[in-house]
Amino acid sequence: FSASSLSSEAQKRGVGQRNSYSSVFYGDVDMDEDVEGNSRLVYVRFVTKLDDPFKVPDTQLGLPSNITRLGLSTVVNNVLQSGPSFYSARLLPFDVLRVPVIDFRRDNWRHEPFDFLINGELVRMSLEEFLLAKGISAEKVLEIEYIKAVAPRKQEEPSFHDDWVSAVDGSNPGFILTGCYDALGRVWKAAGLYVENDTGALVATASKDKTLRLWMFDAEESRGDPTKIRAYKTLRGHNASVQSIAAQPSGDMVCSGSWDCRINLWQTKESDAGASVSIKKRKKGSHDGESQSEGEPVSTLVGHTQCVSSVVWPQHGTIYSASWDHSIRRWDAETGNESLNTCCSDSSSSLDPIDSAVLIFCGKVINCIDIGGESSALIAAGGSDPILRIWDPRKPGSSAPIFQFSSHASWISACKWHKDSWFHLLSASYDGKIMLWDLRTAWPLAVIDSHEDKVLCADWWKGDSVISGGVDSKLCISSEISVK
Amino acid sequence: MIVSKENSPLVKSRKTKSELKEKKDSGGEEEKEERTWAERSEEIPIDSATDDEAWPIFSISRRPGRLQRLHLLAAWIELQEAFLSALVSDNGDVMEEEIRGPVETGGSTSTFNTARISRKGSFKIDRTLRELGSGLSDILGDEGVANTSDGDGSSNDGGGDLSEGDQSESEEFAQGVEESDSSEDEVAPRNTIGDVPFEWYKDEEHIGYNISGKKLKKKERQDKLDSFLASADDPNGWRKVMDEPNDEVVQLTKQEVKMICKVLKGKAPHKDFDPYSPYIDWFKMDAKHPLSSAPEPKRRFVLSKWENEKVVKLVRAIRKGLIKFDKPKEKPGVYDLWGDDSSSMEKAGHGLAYIPAPKPKLPGHEESYNPSLEYIPTQEEINSYQLLFEEDRPKFIPKQVVIHLHLLRFTSLRSVPAYENYVKESFERCLDLYMCPRARKKRINIDPESLKPKLPSRKDLKPYPTICYLEYRGHTGPVMSISTESSGQWIASGSSDGTVRIWEVETGRCLRVWELGEPVHHVSWNPSSDIPILAVSAGLDVFLLNAGLEDEERKMINKLLHIETSMAPDDTGKISSIVSWDQDDNHGGIRLKHFKTVSSVEWHRKGDYFSTVMPSDILSLCIMWLSEEPKSKGRFSFLSPISTLFCIHILSLTCLLRESRAILIHQLSKKSTQRIPFKLHGLPVSSAFHPTRSVFFVSTKKNVRVYDLLKQKLIKKLETGAREVSSIAIHPGGDNVIVGTREGKMCWFDMDLSSQPYRILKCHSKDINSVAFHRSYPLFASCSDDSTAYIFHGMVYSDLNQNPLVVPLEILRGHASSNGRGVMDCKFHPRQPWLFTAGADSVIKLFCH
Repeated sequence: FSASSLSSEAQKRGVGQRNSYSSVFYGDVDMDEDVEGNSRLVYVRFVTKLDDPFKVPDTQLGLPSNITRLGLSTVVNNVLQSGPSFYSARLLPFDVLRVPVIDFRRDNWRHEPFDFLINGELVRMSLEEFLLAKGISAEKVLEIEYIKAVAPRKQEEPSFHDDWVSAVDGSNPGFILTGCYDALGRVWKAAGLYVENDTGALVATASKDKTLRLWMFDAEESRGDPTKIRAYKTLRGHNASVQSIAAQPSGDMVCSGSWDCRINLWQTKESDAGASVSIKKRKKGSHDGESQSEGEPVSTLVGHTQCVSSVVWPQHGTIYSASWDHSIRRWDAETGNESLNTCCSDSSSSLDPIDSAVLIFCGKVINCIDIGGESSALIAAGGSDPILRIWDPRKPGSSAPIFQFSSHASWISACKWHKDSWFHLLSASYDGKIMLWDLRTAWPLAVIDSHEDKVLCADWWKGDSVISGGVDSKLCISSEISVK
Repeated sequence: MIVSKENSPLVKSRKTKSELKEKKDSGGEEEKEERTWAERSEEIPIDSATDDEAWPIFSISRRPGRLQRLHLLAAWIELQEAFLSALVSDNGDVMEEEIRGPVETGGSTSTFNTARISRKGSFKIDRTLRELGSGLSDILGDEGVANTSDGDGSSNDGGGDLSEGDQSESEEFAQGVEESDSSEDEVAPRNTIGDVPFEWYKDEEHIGYNISGKKLKKKERQDKLDSFLASADDPNGWRKVMDEPNDEVVQLTKQEVKMICKVLKGKAPHKDFDPYSPYIDWFKMDAKHPLSSAPEPKRRFVLSKWENEKVVKLVRAIRKGLIKFDKPKEKPGVYDLWGDDSSSMEKAGHGLAYIPAPKPKLPGHEESYNPSLEYIPTQEEINSYQLLFEEDRPKFIPKQVVIHLHLLRFTSLRSVPAYENYVKESFERCLDLYMCPRARKKRINIDPESLKPKLPSRKDLKPYPTICYLEYRGHTGPVMSISTESSGQWIASGSSDGTVRIWEVETGRCLRVWELGEPVHHVSWNPSSDIPILAVSAGLDVFLLNAGLEDEERKMINKLLHIETSMAPDDTGKISSIVSWDQDDNHGGIRLKHFKTVSSVEWHRKGDYFSTVMPSDILSLCIMWLSEEPKSKGRFSFLSPISTLFCIHILSLTCLLRESRAILIHQLSKKSTQRIPFKLHGLPVSSAFHPTRSVFFVSTKKNVRVYDLLKQKLIKKLETGAREVSSIAIHPGGDNVIVGTREGKMCWFDMDLSSQPYRILKCHSKDINSVAFHRSYPLFASCSDDSTAYIFHGMVYSDLNQNPLVVPLEILRGHASSNGRGVMDCKFHPRQPWLFTAGADSVIKLFCH
């Protein structure tokens, strides 16, 4: 019964299947002829790096060449659904075949979307077109690698803020930090849960009131009611609103980019906080109450001529910054430290301009930048046009971006590499969409359309979720994204 | 031969005096001489085989009668040949005797070389030409043919005169021949017998002697028969001739044979000889080498008597009018009525140009009464004609007759009915002729592309704003004015809904809202980044508002915007009637009360001074009053005519004052106000400060005046030529000004060039509301009530020799029109090539590159 259903499934998809040992046809012979009459068969073999439940047996399949990704995914699912018996039944004579299949069949198989890679490129059109476009011979047995499709499977309930959500941070798997236009930073434990405190963490926020604030909260205490905490330290030194902030991987220092064209480095070290998390946040309005301990910048990086819109600190000694003056610069924070050591008294010693090099000159205003990808060296940046660009600074004379993704319709407000993947990144745009990208294809993997207005910020969280905030005052979490 | 020497240049030089004399005297005897020459030519039909000189022997052959005689000669030779052949058969000796005998004829004694002729290989003929001559005369005499006997007679007559001369001539000639012989013949004659007759050796065994005086033996003679047989065997035998003096047989060459043949035919022996060469008169008086060196005689250039008489005759005839000089005029000739018009077009010279009437098309086959079948349209085609346009339809559709339900063509011309369109078409033709253009249209073929100015491509002029990505929404009324903060992080906007808003450029977040209650006309950020103050003109007031971007700690702004109430009356003094500085606690700023609507507020670049303009438009003020009146005093609405009069009265008063008070300059730090010390001509519209110098621009409705504030005088007056100026913008360099006008034109002034516009850009269809320059990029923009904004590239070069380059780049659309108003204001982002536009549809748009 189930075998026949499988064959009817295969019939629907137009799949002719054959292995190298004996001809095994699922379905009637005449059906197969139909398939062959319609289009050519391409012989493929599926391979994967996924673990057992998603491994298909090493067989050759003849698929019609006009099969698309969806068809391929169905084929793989069907093969997986038929279970390991498929593998064993392969050697059985044709008559016996149908019986044992039923026994080993996985009845509770959940349909899993897959993505398919041929020669390291994602298949995004019909197999025939793809082979034609890439100039791959259809005569040989194609080796198709399949991975789990990167797309959110679940949309969590949005968490509402009082005002526009200007910044999100998901660098700590325990909680989500958000910044909001109501001058408050919020820490969220999970979707819908509003918890102020979590495990002992140091949080830095940057605000449009030209200051940075360091916050600390205790992770152990967990109360049901939202509590308000105070910043234990205010860092003053910028002359204009602070646009971005980034923490050193070790957590000792924080750098911030501001509208006064400068990047300030700050020491966070006084406290013995464990994990340090930074968050970019725009805040305005008065900050009432008594002043806490104040800090001054340890170093200032001068070089940009306009607002420093984004800073990242991916490695210990290197800071990347993007600015509205259309440039991306790389700073050596180590030399900054050295110069700081030599002239300790001068608190605002600035780096030599030699230390900063204009890596890339883009021609457009850059709003966001992130470092990641292959060996954490690629620069992704988006700005005042709908194109997400990726540069490889290791290439000599790398003025042109190596990738350009242009499916957005408006400014790109955020772009983030996935922490563990070399290929995946997300971008958020003012057109209200968040797109997931894979370097191996020019089409977006997935479009998250949960926001109704401009998306101002987005980040990965826990490696499998995308968190985003926007003008519609929502914090949206799209989870169960299976990036490897 | 003798004759020819006269023509020969060689001989000429040897002419003796006697000869010359003879020639000179020849006048009367010409005929005679000719005669003798003719005779001689008869005698000497030839020449010498040995003698190869190419002398023109027959050059006298032009003389009459000569040819005739030559024919005779040829005839005679033939006769003789026949005779000889007869003789030979009898006895060779007889012939030999006959031939050899030297005969003297006429007066010529010259010896001639023998000509040896062998003909058809059978005979040897050896004879002298002289024999020929005598023979000829004999034969002729015998036969009695021709009148050569007369010639002979005459020659005899003249013989006495000529004999001597001739003789001497011939002697000389003989010498010349010998000389030429020796020069030309390389082989010396081997005649061993000397100049003695052959008879002398006739019976001897030897012939001549050799150098040592020994006798030379005669060769063995073949007898005639043997030799004949031998020659018959020998293919070249016919060419062989016996050389008697040398006692040997000579074979004639081909050339020699040819030459002999020619001689026999009576032609010149040499083939190159031209018997008809032009005669050269060597004895003309004006020849190159005149014979006499005597000067030209006078008679040569004096009119002769009869010539004189003729001239006198002509003169008399002219005086009498018998001879007329002007030619009679030609009658207008016939012209070709049916000729082509093109020729008559060329004829048209001056005056009214002749334009030929348009020609009707000639009838074609389809208009025949009995056309071929292919010209007859089918019914479907006829129907399809109805679908065509009137112009495309064929003019003539062949008609058919229906006979017995069959469509037939007309079988004869007789059956063709009258053409129904005849009258109509004749009329149209007349109309065509009558209406046809009478003036020649001069068409100039110029490629329109070439007339376009050479402008750089738009691609090369990037970046410039093109696409709108961001909108700033929140206003509820038309946004009248926008202003950008100096860093480019914020913009402020004022709307006629009475609010002023501050927006974050990056996100479109509205940061702050002020409710001013009155429609806002103009907002302006303080250009200094340290003083984030907004100047807002709303209604009659100008507000100075604290944007609230300053650090809370630094209270400078608050201090700046604080007015000590005690100070106010002192400061204002007499101007207090115009403007009063008040603290406005509602909005946290200063309120400057003006007496009229303030249309614009402009800051000086340092952020301390600002100017306000009160255009005091009478009509608008009246309308404002009137519109407010029913609201405020509804129950006194019956008073409205009176109040109208009242307000007009007030306005007329203010109009008197407006020259001094329409434009005010305020100082923020001192909270003081001053008038500009100039007299304005016309209604002020807007004002602007020079970006670097202390120069102040005031635009009135017609023109722009440029004042120097330090020297307090008028520097320049820019003539816009427009009806009404609406806005003005100064290039950051300060030397270029753009002016937007109400008729949609934009004028670019280069103040270094002239006070006339350098460029007038007519691009908008409606009023231009605002123009703007970019601070750093070479861009400028204009926005208009037609809901569009235009972006231009406006490059100003530091090189004074180069004029500014103005290139239109982009039309920005997107705003909706509302109440006939479109885009109210446009401002560039101070650092990016972006343009903000404020629309009457209450939206602010940001156009990015």
